[in-house]
Amino acid sequence: MSTQPPIVLSESSDPLALPRRVALVRPDLRPAVRQLEERWLMTFPHLIVREVILFQIVLIALGLAAIFFDAPLQGIANPLETPNPAKAPWYFLGLQELLHYFPPVVAGVLMPALVVIALVVIPYARVNLTAGPLWASHPRRKAIGIGVVTVLLVALFSAFACWPIVVPTLFVAAAIFAARKGAAGGRLRRRLARVTLPEWIMTWFVVIATILTIIGTFFRGPGWSLVWPADAAVFG
Amino acid sequence: MSDISMKPLLLRLRDSAVYRSIVRHGVTDTNLNRSLIIFENVFLHVHPVKVRERTLRFTHTYWLGGITTACALVLTMTGVLLMFYYHPSVPQAYKDMKELNFVVEDGAFLRNLHRWAAQLMVFSAFLHMLRVFYHRAFRPPRQFNWVVGIVLLLVTLLLSYTGYLLPWDQLAFWGVSVGTNMAKEAPLVGEQVRFLLLGGHVVSENALLRFYVLHCVLLPVALLIFLSVHIWRVRKDGGVQGPSEELESPESGEVL
Amino acid sequence: MPDDREETLRLTDDEPSRRDFFSRVGLAACAAAVAGSGVVTLDYLKPKVLFEPPTRFRAGSPLDYTEGIVRFNRQQKAYVVGAASGVYALSAVCTHLGCITRFLSDERCIACPCHGSRFDLEGNVIHGPAPRALPWLEVQVDAAGSLVVDTSVVVPHGKVFKA
Repeated sequence: MSTQPPIVLSESSDPLALPRRVALVRPDLRPAVRQLEERWLMTFPHLIVREVILFQIVLIALGLAAIFFDAPLQGIANPLETPNPAKAPWYFLGLQELLHYFPPVVAGVLMPALVVIALVVIPYARVNLTAGPLWASHPRRKAIGIGVVTVLLVALFSAFACWPIVVPTLFVAAAIFAARKGAAGGRLRRRLARVTLPEWIMTWFVVIATILTIIGTFFRGPGWSLVWPADAAVFG
Repeated sequence: MSDISMKPLLLRLRDSAVYRSIVRHGVTDTNLNRSLIIFENVFLHVHPVKVRERTLRFTHTYWLGGITTACALVLTMTGVLLMFYYHPSVPQAYKDMKELNFVVEDGAFLRNLHRWAAQLMVFSAFLHMLRVFYHRAFRPPRQFNWVVGIVLLLVTLLLSYTGYLLPWDQLAFWGVSVGTNMAKEAPLVGEQVRFLLLGGHVVSENALLRFYVLHCVLLPVALLIFLSVHIWRVRKDGGVQGPSEELESPESGEVL
Repeated sequence: MPDDREETLRLTDDEPSRRDFFSRVGLAACAAAVAGSGVVTLDYLKPKVLFEPPTRFRAGSPLDYTEGIVRFNRQQKAYVVGAASGVYALSAVCTHLGCITRFLSDERCIACPCHGSRFDLEGNVIHGPAPRALPWLEVQVDAAGSLVVDTSVVVPHGKVFKA
């Protein structure tokens, strides 16, 4: 025990700045434990300061937007005169675009309800918890399955002439199959090969929602006809 | 004791009994005081006293939850201010909008700020949801917090939608008319729900008042409640979860 | 040990104890109170008196409506149409999402500006996403002989009012 260095305790505000050995534990005398080294910091000031700065940045950005871009205010509400086109707020425009293709019960009630249910169920569906890269296992079975689902989706939505859904579905399916030959390929293909099935599904959904919203916002004019953005009455 | 009179005034205030009865942590920069600042403050003590350094990086969460919350704060502050000049009746509501835009000092700025903060809040709430999904931060024990998050997203959308009617201009009126007509299509309860929401068969003064109460009282309270649960759960589930280990490149540092 | 303790009846497994019984009664009472509050609140929220404009309006004399005449009443959102056999009225509210339609006289059809639905003069959908035909509204004649239309009463399709 005489070879042990003297234990000197000193106070420091940084818990990890000056590590001093206070005891020596021989590695061969206790089980090896894999542990990621975690560095802990005091909430005050490290996290608090970041939150304050974030709030300031958000406030400044919004303030600049508020100075340079005015919120719209049209004529007073007139129940007897419907503007042409009558557009919902932008986050509902994707839905309003869907209304063009499907009856109101489907596009206005059924589809949003299904989307919300699907979102809520995500953490309870086993596939979301255990999924690995899509093509890592059972590639042939999956290829057939995905092919069948793609064909069914394309057929279903083509029956309603809903091209904003059909075209992205085909693109995403193409990307999924391109990812199959993942190992042999460039960085992008290798990155795609690591994508899991739930991630593909969510990406498909996000792409479609974005495209529908963009069409509804920028490419629909009077009578919900297709127009170029200049005529699209972006603010309704 | 002549040193005491030499101390600057602020320092003397800080050492006074009154100050020390209000502020319970010391002022020296020790970990004890840093802990007390968080632990003994009712507003700050939703935070843990220590956080993992990893979670502070931008790429951990892209700060999206923080941006959404910051927007909610901005919306509450500007919303309350706007309420001082707004009557939820027809046609006074529209006249008040004109007054806010052209007469009230900084009225246009506050209104614009409110509107843009609302757009950003909806947008960043969606992005936050996507970030959590792609980082797979909904896995046990965080499943229920994901559900609470979806509820928060719906409350945010409803807040935005109810607020949309309040200016009572053509954009507001017809946007809401179309939306409530969609609700009517729901089987069994559609017509009833629409009647309850609008306080009648058509979008009218009753609808404006109901949307006003929803927008200014019920939905903000709901947001506050669910947000508290959400943040509390984040803490109890072990802190903000960013990219999980298998998604990141493995860190060095095994400790034997 | 005094023997009279053995006289008390033992509970069988599925018999609730007195404590259980009272707990359940108490809980049921609370549930009933909550449910009752909910029903009362819901009833409170439903307006019983509405200040909306009356749905019956006068539409002139039946003689004004020769065949092919279409008159649009903006306040009441209704078309009054003259047919060969009489007069009928159509709702001007598009059956898709409630926008107010317009009568296009050169094309002899009714069009909705919101999503492009089109209806013929009998209210049938000829184009667009509207799911149903425009409802036909009740047409009557009052004591003075002028037409009275009631927009809150829907009559079967094709029921023309014969003056």
